[in-house]
Amino acid sequence: MTLDFSAIVPYLHMLFAGAKVTIQASLLSVFFGALLGILVGALRVVPVAPVRAIAASYIYIIRGTPLLIQLFLIYFGLPSLGLNLPAFTAGIIGLSINSSGYVGEIVRGGIEAVPKGQWEASKVLGLSYLKTMRFIILPQAIRNMLPAIGNEFVTLIKESSLLSTLAITELTMVGQQVRSVTYASFETFIVVGIIYLVLTSVTSFSLQYVERKWKVS
Amino acid sequence: MSNNGSETIPSDSAASQSAIEVRRLHKSFGSLSVLRDVSLSVGEGEVVSVIGPSGSGKSTLARCICRLEKINSGEIYLYGKRTDGSSHSNRDIARLVGMIFQQFNLFPHLSVLDNLTLSPIRILGLSRGDAVENAMALLKRVGLEEKRNARPNELSGGQCQRVAIARALAMNPKIMLFDEPTSALDPELVGEVLDVIAGLADSGMTMMIITHEMMFAKEVSDRVLFMADGNIVEQGHPKKIFSCPEVPRTQLFLQRMLVHFGKELTEGDEKEACRHDA
Repeated sequence: MTLDFSAIVPYLHMLFAGAKVTIQASLLSVFFGALLGILVGALRVVPVAPVRAIAASYIYIIRGTPLLIQLFLIYFGLPSLGLNLPAFTAGIIGLSINSSGYVGEIVRGGIEAVPKGQWEASKVLGLSYLKTMRFIILPQAIRNMLPAIGNEFVTLIKESSLLSTLAITELTMVGQQVRSVTYASFETFIVVGIIYLVLTSVTSFSLQYVERKWKVS
Repeated sequence: MSNNGSETIPSDSAASQSAIEVRRLHKSFGSLSVLRDVSLSVGEGEVVSVIGPSGSGKSTLARCICRLEKINSGEIYLYGKRTDGSSHSNRDIARLVGMIFQQFNLFPHLSVLDNLTLSPIRILGLSRGDAVENAMALLKRVGLEEKRNARPNELSGGQCQRVAIARALAMNPKIMLFDEPTSALDPELVGEVLDVIAGLADSGMTMMIITHEMMFAKEVSDRVLFMADGNIVEQGHPKKIFSCPEVPRTQLFLQRMLVHFGKELTEGDEKEACRHDA
């Protein structure tokens, strides 16, 4: 067989629209996932054992179960508790929660990598635990974490393809629609794959750029 | 053993007169006993140097005084206030005592100026303008005004330690503790830091300096403590400690140090001090 991309050219604009949804979903999820993840990661190192244990269990459960199941629980499961979420909202919540588990571990690692002397200097300068965290530890930890957070962002873009199972018209879902119309399966998913590759490449290159900038300053 | 003794016991006159009063302090890390029944009193404006071999508990003593370590038993009073429990906030302690670390522990993500102003603004509630004004005066005092916008990684070790001293002074503490302030420095940078510390001693600041710089300890201190194995073995006027130590353990330590530092330490009129004491 020969590849014939001409069949899917009329549908390219649909694929780009799907890519736009993928980008939106990824950006929203990485934002909320990072916020939640920083919180979870910070709780993970709090000097209160029960709080640490709760944060650790959260991370353990999130990382130990498939994202697909987490999405199904939120979208198909929560309605039985009377909570009906629109598909896109459910998808963002699922991706954000999933991402927060991984970001939480990254944050914990980043915080623990800040030398103990920083805590001690802060304490003798009168800073409370929370102020030390906010002004001294997190700003340094976030720099340590940036490469890992970047990887997490790239992972998130790829995993957002699972949102297609909630009938969200993101890139993968649109790919399936285009395939069912054109029957050009190979060509369609090659193009879909290339679009993902462009998204992940642009993301990781921009993050590398930010990282370099940040290191210099 | 715990240190939950009542806060309501009135401190006696000795405690309220001393800047630092340590009573029967015990501190252990697990089964390792680091401080064994240490008692110590430092008067206001007094400059005390603490010398002794590694592992003798010098640093731990300073870290207990500024509450970086919890003590197992005993009492610590700073200006008559009992500070070893948890009833005082970090802020309360910081207003009484500043600490200088061997490794400087500057905040690497902040400029020199921000290192100095962070706590005064966030903890003491100073306006940014006032905090900057104080900080610049302190930077001038340690000779680093022109480094206000530098990051710590752009400074030499000596400059870092001078910034750290200025940063501690920005909280306007009554007592300054120095935990081997020059041990991490290249030899040619030691002098500039010692000059700043000596200047501070002349200004009447109450200071406790843990150091291996024997000549410096001899020149700058009002009193020298020799510690070994978690105890204060001997203490007294620097001339007495360096010229005619009485305890064999002190003599042994100083003999070993003399191999490094030459004879200057004991030469001159100190022989007279020995005779005088004897």
